[in-house]
Amino acid sequence: MNYIWAGMLLLGIVFSIINNRPDLFTQALMESCTDAVQFMIGLTGIIAVWCGLMSIAKESGLIDKIAVKATPAMKFLFPQEKNKDTLVMMLMSFTANVFGAGNSATVFSLKAMEMLDRENGGSPVASDTMCMFMAVSMSMIQLVPITIIKIRNDLGSQNPSDIIMPSIIVGLIAMAASIAACKYFEARERRRKRCH
Amino acid sequence: MSLILSSISLFFIPALITIILVHGLRNKTPMYDCFVNGAKDGLRTAVEMLPFIIAIFIGIQSLTVSGAIEFLKDLLAPISSPLGIPEELISLILLRPISGSGSLVLAEQIMRESGTDGLIGRAASVMTGSCETVFYVLAIYFGVTSVKKMRHAFHAGLIGYVVGVAASIAICRVM
Repeated sequence: MNYIWAGMLLLGIVFSIINNRPDLFTQALMESCTDAVQFMIGLTGIIAVWCGLMSIAKESGLIDKIAVKATPAMKFLFPQEKNKDTLVMMLMSFTANVFGAGNSATVFSLKAMEMLDRENGGSPVASDTMCMFMAVSMSMIQLVPITIIKIRNDLGSQNPSDIIMPSIIVGLIAMAASIAACKYFEARERRRKRCH
Repeated sequence: MSLILSSISLFFIPALITIILVHGLRNKTPMYDCFVNGAKDGLRTAVEMLPFIIAIFIGIQSLTVSGAIEFLKDLLAPISSPLGIPEELISLILLRPISGSGSLVLAEQIMRESGTDGLIGRAASVMTGSCETVFYVLAIYFGVTSVKKMRHAFHAGLIGYVVGVAASIAICRVM
């Protein structure tokens, strides 16, 4: 993360100098930090709302119920995860993603990562559960990609929503690839450890 | 079909909240207190996340405005056509992993120039509709943890993305 972040900024500086527009870099820096705060302010309300609602769900026992129902599928993905709250938080993040509730999904995911981090003991090395959660999140399908359909509609497409089916199919293929890759790397690492 | 799917999406949040509230009512949960306490907890989370979000936003923005993407695009142009990738899509393929809003603007631009219903326009739509912003997600999600070594999360995400891009183009050639 250290190198990637510094690399991104340095690449940005180098290329803006090559293109003789160092002012663009400065402008981007100033604008994006304001954007970040604005984005977070927008997200803060949503975070508070969902954390509040989830706390009701926890207190009333709904989370335990969902966790029991979701166990089979989640067991396959996250065999080591024992904490029900975290499992449900991850599940919520997946469902919110599928239904296109982008900001809410971000909230659930960040909360889930925070919980996974605590379970991982604040270790600097990512746990298997974290990796799999990331792999699924990074390839999650969205039932109706509403923004892109709106753009197509505005540009006068004959059939703006005929990309829904292909998008879902592609999303599922990508997700399968991502999960398979994750399982493969996991197994390979375990084999290596056993050899040593 | 698409109508059913979009109404399911519209009803998702109201339905979810109804379930939570009805379940809370039935179990006589002190819902108001729970909500307020949970929200308080959420605010703390938000404040803790802000520094990471700022760090990632400036990194991504500096990379996108500097022209680094255009440079990479020119570099990749010669190998794109033998692979069956329309040249118009290269910038989108490069930008999508790091910026969701940026790639939407770019997709709109591509469709304005190449039409919405041809191979390029459709492939651009399917790509933005199905491929995630993998690097952005990696950076933000791991940003809130103390993780320094992402292990295979990075590889898995990248593989999923490449497969998704290839499948988007392939499926638009067929369907």
